[in-house]
Amino acid sequence: MAMDYEIVVGLEIHAELNTDTKIFCGCKNVFGAEVNSCCCPICTGMPGSLPSLNEKVVDYAIKMGHALNCTINNVCKQDRKNYFYPDLPKAYQISQFDVPLCEHGYLDIMVDDQGNTKRIGVTRIHIEEDAGKLLHDDRFNGSLCDYNRCGVPLIEIVSEPDIRSSAEAKAYLDGIKATLSYLDISDCKMQEGSIRCDVNVSVMEKGSGKFGTRVEMKNVNSFSAAVRAIDYEAQRQMDVLRKGGTVDQETRRWDDMKGVSIMMRSKEDAQDYRYFPDPDLLTIVVDEEHVKELKDSLPELPGHRMLRYMKEFGLPHFDANLLVENKEKAAFFDEAVQFGCQPKNISNWMLGDVSRILNEKNLTLADTKLTPKKLCEMIALIEKKEISNNAGKTVLEEIIFSDKTADQVVKEKGLAQISDSSFLEGIVKSVLEANPKAVADYKGGKTNVAGFLVGQCMRASKGQGNPAILKELVEKEISKL
Amino acid sequence: MELYEKSAYELSGMLREKKCSAKEIAQSVFDRIDAVEDKTQAYITLTREIAMEQAGAVDEKLAKGEQLHPLAGIPMAVKDNICTKDVLTTCASKMLYNFVPPYDATVMEKLNACGTVMLGKTNLDEFAMGSSCERSYFKKTHNPRNLDYVPGGSSGGSAAAVAAGEAVIALGSDTGGSIRQPASYCGLVGLKPTYGSVSRYGLVAFGSSLDQIGPFARTVKDAAMLYQVLCGRDPRDATSSKRERPDFVAALDGNVKGLRIGIPVEYFGPGVDDVVKKAVFAAVDQLKAAGATVKEVSLPSTDYALSAYYIISSAEASSNLARFDGVKYGYRAPKFDGLIDMYERTRSEGFGDEVKRRIMLGTFVLSSGYYDAYYKRAKLLQHQIADEFAHCFEDCDLLITPTAPGTAFKLGENVDDPLKMYAADICTIGVNIAGLPGLSIPCAYTENNLPIGMQLIGPKFSEDLLLKVGDCFETIYGGFNTVAKI
Amino acid sequence: MKIDIRHVAKLARLRIEEDRIEKFEEEMLSIIDMVENLPPISGAGKDLDPSNPMELRKDIPTPSLKREEVLKNAPVSQSGCLVVPKTVD
Repeated sequence: MAMDYEIVVGLEIHAELNTDTKIFCGCKNVFGAEVNSCCCPICTGMPGSLPSLNEKVVDYAIKMGHALNCTINNVCKQDRKNYFYPDLPKAYQISQFDVPLCEHGYLDIMVDDQGNTKRIGVTRIHIEEDAGKLLHDDRFNGSLCDYNRCGVPLIEIVSEPDIRSSAEAKAYLDGIKATLSYLDISDCKMQEGSIRCDVNVSVMEKGSGKFGTRVEMKNVNSFSAAVRAIDYEAQRQMDVLRKGGTVDQETRRWDDMKGVSIMMRSKEDAQDYRYFPDPDLLTIVVDEEHVKELKDSLPELPGHRMLRYMKEFGLPHFDANLLVENKEKAAFFDEAVQFGCQPKNISNWMLGDVSRILNEKNLTLADTKLTPKKLCEMIALIEKKEISNNAGKTVLEEIIFSDKTADQVVKEKGLAQISDSSFLEGIVKSVLEANPKAVADYKGGKTNVAGFLVGQCMRASKGQGNPAILKELVEKEISKL
Repeated sequence: MELYEKSAYELSGMLREKKCSAKEIAQSVFDRIDAVEDKTQAYITLTREIAMEQAGAVDEKLAKGEQLHPLAGIPMAVKDNICTKDVLTTCASKMLYNFVPPYDATVMEKLNACGTVMLGKTNLDEFAMGSSCERSYFKKTHNPRNLDYVPGGSSGGSAAAVAAGEAVIALGSDTGGSIRQPASYCGLVGLKPTYGSVSRYGLVAFGSSLDQIGPFARTVKDAAMLYQVLCGRDPRDATSSKRERPDFVAALDGNVKGLRIGIPVEYFGPGVDDVVKKAVFAAVDQLKAAGATVKEVSLPSTDYALSAYYIISSAEASSNLARFDGVKYGYRAPKFDGLIDMYERTRSEGFGDEVKRRIMLGTFVLSSGYYDAYYKRAKLLQHQIADEFAHCFEDCDLLITPTAPGTAFKLGENVDDPLKMYAADICTIGVNIAGLPGLSIPCAYTENNLPIGMQLIGPKFSEDLLLKVGDCFETIYGGFNTVAKI
Repeated sequence: MKIDIRHVAKLARLRIEEDRIEKFEEEMLSIIDMVENLPPISGAGKDLDPSNPMELRKDIPTPSLKREEVLKNAPVSQSGCLVVPKTVD
């Protein structure tokens, strides 16, 4: 009998913080500057230079700690992690080893559409510095070092091995990203590498509770890649075990293009980082009052907001999840529901046509002229049956990029739906006259041709006839014949 | 008396009274350098042009009647592990044979603002690791008091320059005795300040938790003048301390009445030469005669301090010196095969043996499985040693010990025996381990014209007291300010 | 007590000639032995010292170096970057 296995995943997420300056020097923390233009003796590790810790980095990390329900170690220290690599100019990274700034937290993730959650433990959050970038050029036999990213502040968020599937991993990653974005402490731009993750995967016999040997996967550059990497690696390990083999403790590199993981380092080659407290930095002591102030400053967090949308507005999990994905979208929704439209209608429009337009043009809501009020005025017209759903789409295309209101567009384009029975009667009559065969069919019992006739009436009214009223009139007029 | 023989304090007065110009002072010192540098080998780099320019600027200010800092126009030497913008800074290593920092150390910024005149960069043991100045990649410095002997180390070049009259004052750095021991060997005043009182920004790090920059001078008052500028909080050095600074020169009131001196018995053990013990006891007796009281105290962990020192300083050094990898600055091996081979060749060719030895020791004590047994225990020992000192200061104002167990040794005498070399540090490392200030002042000369130094140790931030007592002893002694006859 | 000099050298990115390994080990052991012989030390580690807290830096930009200054000491540079032997990842 084939053994049943369970996947066990732990994630280490590195998020760059969006402070104005780097973690240990006053160089600007910006992405995309000319190579080696945001560097100084400190971030390039020149002899004699010393680090001085940016207070914002500590504040941001504590905020994240609060958001993930962590204990805040307001007395902590920084340690050196020693290894040689050309992107690390000091040959050590200043990080935190045994006393991280935050630990023992958790994030609740949604595991089904009924709003059921699962708690994923957060082992720790610590602050550290980013390394530089190595550029490779095939025309040239060497690698180029750009130190602009050296010293960009990072937080590393380490999860407990509580994740049991790639779907849970995705939900956890989305939750972390949404939290960072809500706190406005990271740009969260995957394509710029401002969030990266390492994935630890093992498999265990179902129900045994005994963890298998863990494999660490590096170079996982997107959340969707994380899903693929987990599925691939878990399958690989199960295959090995089912063939009677053993999984080795090793570090593997995920190649997302090829969809495979490749061995990088075996356990024997495990690095010895020789951590020790950085003698250039004293104990970090954050006033307890300040720790509390940071807690009080937190906005409503995505997990809470999602549950509220499901409970208060009756939105399905799918909608709620997408709406809370970023703070801007959620705030837009929250404001829109104030205007009295059906929350589900607002959600449909936001996640449907509005999102489609934004995606097509690669924009965010802030780039447009759409306001919650304008959107709701349009939705209200549909709810009051003054315009059709289709006309609404036309209206949206206009109001999203202009100062016009929905009313103005409806007037200008003559999109108002006609509900005046006496006017519509004339149209119905002429349509019935022009389609004697259909009328005969209807009378003969084929009542489904009513749809065809209503359609003809819509066309004759240039789309402005209220279809419900037209259907009523068609039935009434035929019965008179 | 030539200008180069005078103290900074005297020269400062003469400049104000227009008895000489800053350029004349600088010229006098350079003439002396031209006359004796061949024999002392104190400097790695001379910065004649910069010096004359700086002296000229001081003279201009004087002519305009502008306010001058007391150190304006005073010729000064700088240990070559302190970064000087656009001036070669080698740490006496092949590894940095061509390194020109794009920035000034904080102490250099402060001194430049005062108008001091930089003469050049002085020799040291490679990366400040050594006690004789024989471990420089470039040259061996000789003791100006007796050229057959070492000047001590690691700041031997700065000590030799000041003792030879090739500088009026100088900067050194002290991790385990690197200012005080050469001061003692060369008959100078040398101050290792309290850890955290002088910014380390721009000092090429050896043992970060122990390193301090400090002054060399031929008189206590000159040392006080220089220290006054060096100390103070620097936001660029997180370990530098925020603290009110007294006027150190004004504190030199010559009064030691009621001073309680402690004599730690462990510093007068069998490892210390009798001639040294005798000289230090005689000096203590003189202070007693001037009104101080003396009692014996105990620092029981002294014997273990050497191991704690070597473990902590080497661990930090192994990490601090990892950045020398042939990528960003300095030496890169000419031939290699791939990245790791480049690292290994560069570092094996660029570092000298003593540096490698300490990097190896430091790497080992931090490595997996050994950290708790060695590094952690050494740190515990460090706290214990600090506690023992603190206990002594409950009923003593300061402690007096020899600065070194003996006088200077001959060049080449200990160079092949690292352990013997390390023994030269036994009287000084405790002060670094405990983060205390230590002042070395001359107290006698042997028949070979070799100076003997005595060390005053006080509680943290008691530099004013150490300088005051040192100055008082200088008066009793009849003045220290002698330039070596060469 | 033995020290694996080759392993330590590898960690430190140093090469120690074969005929000198023994001497290195001997010298390192002489220091290590001093610690081995320590009397038991009481007291817990004091890695954290809240009595001497660190003053943090305000998040305000200061000028960076010009790129020429960043590169001027580099043994090899090209296209505004430092150059190293080709790395794998």
